Amino acid sequence: MRNPPVQSPVSSLSERSRAAQARASLTALFESMRPDLLRFAQWLARDRSLAEDIVQEALLRAWRARDALKDPAAARAWLLTIVRREHARLYERKRLELVSLDDTFDIPDLAAAASADAELLTLRAGLMRLPLEYREPLVMQVLGGFSTEEIARELELTNTAVLTRLFRARHKLRGLCGPSPAPGAATGEQPA
Amino acid sequence: MICEDARLLIGADPDAAGHELEEHVRGCDGCRAFREEMRRLNGDIRRALEEPPDIRARAAPRAQYAWREYALAAGVVLAMAAGLAVWLLRPTDTLARDLVTHVKAEPESWLSSHNVSAGSIDHALQSSGIGLDLASDKIVYAQSCWFRGHYVPHLVVETTHGPATVLILRHEQVKARDDFREGGMTGVIVPAGDGSIAVLARGRGQVDDVASELREEVHWLPEPAPTPQSTQQ
Repeated sequence: MRNPPVQSPVSSLSERSRAAQARASLTALFESMRPDLLRFAQWLARDRSLAEDIVQEALLRAWRARDALKDPAAARAWLLTIVRREHARLYERKRLELVSLDDTFDIPDLAAAASADAELLTLRAGLMRLPLEYREPLVMQVLGGFSTEEIARELELTNTAVLTRLFRARHKLRGLCGPSPAPGAATGEQPA
Repeated sequence: MICEDARLLIGADPDAAGHELEEHVRGCDGCRAFREEMRRLNGDIRRALEEPPDIRARAAPRAQYAWREYALAAGVVLAMAAGLAVWLLRPTDTLARDLVTHVKAEPESWLSSHNVSAGSIDHALQSSGIGLDLASDKIVYAQSCWFRGHYVPHLVVETTHGPATVLILRHEQVKARDDFREGGMTGVIVPAGDGSIAVLARGRGQVDDVASELREEVHWLPEPAPTPQSTQQ
């Protein structure tokens, strides 16, 4: 009967060292993305502390499922997806209490509307006021870089439904603060 | 491609590209202008989203959200447990409990085996304005006891199953028969006249027959004016 090969303690230490390095590298990668994730979560949740909770929970889930991340280049999209799902989970679970935006969001001062940033401020206020069904795909697209097909998959919607929501989201924002339509330009009404 | 389709694609994604779309936009001034406008708007949206929203700090930090939810859930569970405990440990019928307490306070009543004199029985009954046709040789204990603010006859009668305590409660109305087990005793309170009759036995003694018999044999006489008597309770 042959004894099993004895593992070299040297190679074992080397493997452990590599694993530790990989973990450290992944930790650094996750941490580097935290600001992006937090911003994304804040635009979804419209609540800073809640967004921090969401990101924390999402990073925890991501860490537990880190073996699923094969390509570090895909980490951002992967983490954003986890954050979105965590937000959706929390939203479903809690049926989040309705909060007056006037209590939580700094509405742009109308007096400041004359400044160059007025339009941007108004747009930010408009984004905050967008219903989640419009805000979510828009934030995913513009901030997350997801394609309409990816958004449709993630939100479990048809591609047409996503296109319509994105169109309506922009239409609402355009109506709020957009420039005057150019002559002959579209009315912005949703196409059939 | 028609304008409606083109504008849906452009409105959904101003940077969308595709052979059909490009071909349409080249030949349609309106859609071309719309795309330019949407691209400008999209640039503004991107800039707007680059910074986190200007949310004021909430008075109640969300970090406590989970804690508050767990606390609420725990509170509900505790309240339910407390409710269940109260229900399980609720006192049984107060009258029954008082009766048992009273009977237990007179343990000597169970020890008597001699017939009580007719005079003692009359005294116990008349003090409460009650007449009884029960054969006096069955009664081995008779007292007029202070119970719930009134003098009531407290009797012990011999039955084939052993002694049974009887209290005739002129001032205690019950709507229906009330069987109870309390403090190691079995009892029943039955409506009778304007009041009720309680029969108690130790353990699982027989009380039904006595209660039925007494309902037929009790007479409610005019209640005498209260006079100082023994103050047993």
